Amino acid sequence: MRALPSVRSALALACVIVLEAAGAAAQEKPRYGGVLTWFDYGDPGRLDVHAESPLVVQQATAGVYSGLIQYDPDDPSKIVPDLAERWTVSPDGRTYTFHLRKGVKWHDGQPFSAADVKASFDRILNPDFKSPKCGAALKPMVASVEAIGPSTVQFRLKFAAAPFLGNVASSWCRVAAKHILEKYGDLNTPEAQIGTGPFRFKRYERGNLIEWEKNKDYFVRGLPYLDGVRQYILVGGPTQLAAAKAGRIMLWDAWPPMKRTQAEELQRARTDVDIYQASINTIFLLYMNAQKPPFGNPDLRRAVSLALDRQELVAKALEGAGVPCALLDPKLVGDFALPLEEVQKLPGCRQPKDADLAEAKKLVEKHHPSGLDIEVAVRTVGNYVDRAQLVLAQLRKVGIRASLKSYESAAGYAAFGKGDFTLIAAQDRSMDTPDPESLFSVIYSTNAGSNYGRWSDPKVDELAERALKEPSRDKRKQLYWELQRHIFAGAPAAVPVAWVEGWFFRDRKVMGYKPALTTYDNNTFMKVWLRE
Amino acid sequence: MRGALSGLGRFAARQPLGAVGAVLVLILIATAMLAPRLAPHGPKEAAFAPYLPPSAEFPLGTDQIGRDVLSRVIWGARLSLYVGLASVVFGVTLGWLWGVVSAYVGGVADTASQRVVDALMALPPIILALSLMAALGQSVNNVILALTILLTPTASRTLRSLALSIRESPYVEAARAVGCPTWRVIALHVLPNTFATYIVLVTVNVSYAIVVEASLSFLGLGAPPDEPSWGAMLTAGTQAMEPAPWMFMFPGLAISLTVFGLNLLGDAVRDLTDPHLRGGLG
Repeated sequence: MRALPSVRSALALACVIVLEAAGAAAQEKPRYGGVLTWFDYGDPGRLDVHAESPLVVQQATAGVYSGLIQYDPDDPSKIVPDLAERWTVSPDGRTYTFHLRKGVKWHDGQPFSAADVKASFDRILNPDFKSPKCGAALKPMVASVEAIGPSTVQFRLKFAAAPFLGNVASSWCRVAAKHILEKYGDLNTPEAQIGTGPFRFKRYERGNLIEWEKNKDYFVRGLPYLDGVRQYILVGGPTQLAAAKAGRIMLWDAWPPMKRTQAEELQRARTDVDIYQASINTIFLLYMNAQKPPFGNPDLRRAVSLALDRQELVAKALEGAGVPCALLDPKLVGDFALPLEEVQKLPGCRQPKDADLAEAKKLVEKHHPSGLDIEVAVRTVGNYVDRAQLVLAQLRKVGIRASLKSYESAAGYAAFGKGDFTLIAAQDRSMDTPDPESLFSVIYSTNAGSNYGRWSDPKVDELAERALKEPSRDKRKQLYWELQRHIFAGAPAAVPVAWVEGWFFRDRKVMGYKPALTTYDNNTFMKVWLRE
Repeated sequence: MRGALSGLGRFAARQPLGAVGAVLVLILIATAMLAPRLAPHGPKEAAFAPYLPPSAEFPLGTDQIGRDVLSRVIWGARLSLYVGLASVVFGVTLGWLWGVVSAYVGGVADTASQRVVDALMALPPIILALSLMAALGQSVNNVILALTILLTPTASRTLRSLALSIRESPYVEAARAVGCPTWRVIALHVLPNTFATYIVLVTVNVSYAIVVEASLSFLGLGAPPDEPSWGAMLTAGTQAMEPAPWMFMFPGLAISLTVFGLNLLGDAVRDLTDPHLRGGLG
């Protein structure tokens, strides 16, 4: 059996595969036709890309919509036009003017205009509208959006924000049709999936299948190459792996990653796929509800953080594929992340665990002399249940006895969103953009989209805002270091366990596909084609 | 003591398969009772390397998060037996009382109560159990409750038909004729005469309850995932069938042997209590 690539060569190998694929794609002429198959880890249920946050919602609708701008499908580190053919920035960096493409049509034949962009962003930025992804990222920085002509839109910012363009390019900031929003009120149903993207929304069979078909009027001439995309809704590792082994899916490049044992099994079963290890810009967290007892008490939140053995969780639950402890992963954001040598000496992360366990036990005993009984929530997706069982075993060592309550994916999100939990043992959160700012707008700021624990620390909000406003890269770095040290020293409701890595595969006949810098981007498949 | 031993000897001679079943059931009971002493490690103790194959240190290997499979199989016996016995005792007893009282009282009450039984029996058992667990939430006690609801109608129907014939017996008519109150006739004359069937139903249904519990846990709707349920262990095993076949083999074997033993014993008990087959042990 061929050995799988090592952890250290992970990203390098992913790049090699991408380059090889790119090279091969450059040599071969793209072929039209065929249907790409891949999978969603669960049923999205609701399809409103502005209002929801699960990856499966993004996957289900990605190719249907376009954004103003996007991360380049050919070079995911670059931002390139999408519905906006160009944009200008005012000298003070506070006004962005987007010039829109002309002649673009919605999938129902209606013409696209600046009014649609304004309607979409007004909706996303409405303070009364909960938009956990695009809204959470843009609300702190955008003051207003105006259509200053049928094909021109202007964003006025509250301050010059370096991550603004990156956030607008995020695959969560999609432009929806004004007439559709007026007709349906939201974008939850299949009927409301009217976009300008390369594919039309064709079919949604609950719990089974989501299908797109080629948009023959796509505004980029000659694209897409595929006749359609079929996403099977496959819940559970064995089903996903069986589909991969049987050749039923051509691509596995989204959460949950395969584990090493699964990758080895797939490698034995199929010789026509490239298997690679990569990061997916996703952090594994444990959440506590800071608004309810017992974790309204910072001592007990601290005890949980100290009790967690992140190295064991990475070694066992992620089979070694992950970066334990870090709040920001140096592989993904470079020197914005605190050096790992510093992080690994911090309480909660340092090894051996004896001192941390003793202190955690003392903290629990101080408030609950006979130990603490809690209910722990977990969604039954990916390998969360395995991770949760490990967390429970670790908490027992410091006198926290927990019973496990499992949720189906969408039901879990609904409960977490309402704050209806005590502790979530395992929950991955993917970053919306590659910018370090994303971690705070997604998880740690008071208004963060995935601040399930409803934790609020004025200093975190202040530092995050200062970092957003700071134009100097060096000063931003210092601010993010201060922010990370402050969170590590405190008792946050979201405890960072590890940055998740894992194994993925691409069928060798899938061409023109590049893994993106986040798990959400480049899922439109606009340039993907299938080799004969 | 000698009498008891010779009685067991005769039982083994008359019902050799029943004796095998009895031995398996005794092993199950002993394992369940002595689990804390027999298991080398805690069932939730994830202190070892994952996916270790069977060895002298871990005779049945370790699972995906580094727990000793042997310890979990041993503790699983306790969980299975607890769920099996508790649900069967509750379910069959409830069905027993329901069926007997319904048969004896008769009339509209009997007709109405039997339509409820019809409605419950019309639903496929595993679908009913899954629905109940989805509504009640995952816990060992909720599994028992769901199984109780599953077992009650069948037991009620079986024991009602027996009670209907007993109700017409001369000794019951005599009791009524001398003015015995209804509750006394039921308690002293009808219930005791249906007891043998009740015992057979209990014995036969324990294995059924254990299989349903394992099935619910296998489907992720039984005992909470960290509980050492054989069904949940099978599910975990299916995630790593190629690299760690021991993870599903041993819990699967435990379920098979338990059900095999209980079925053999149940058949033997039925044979011994069936008047047409009964020759007695004496």
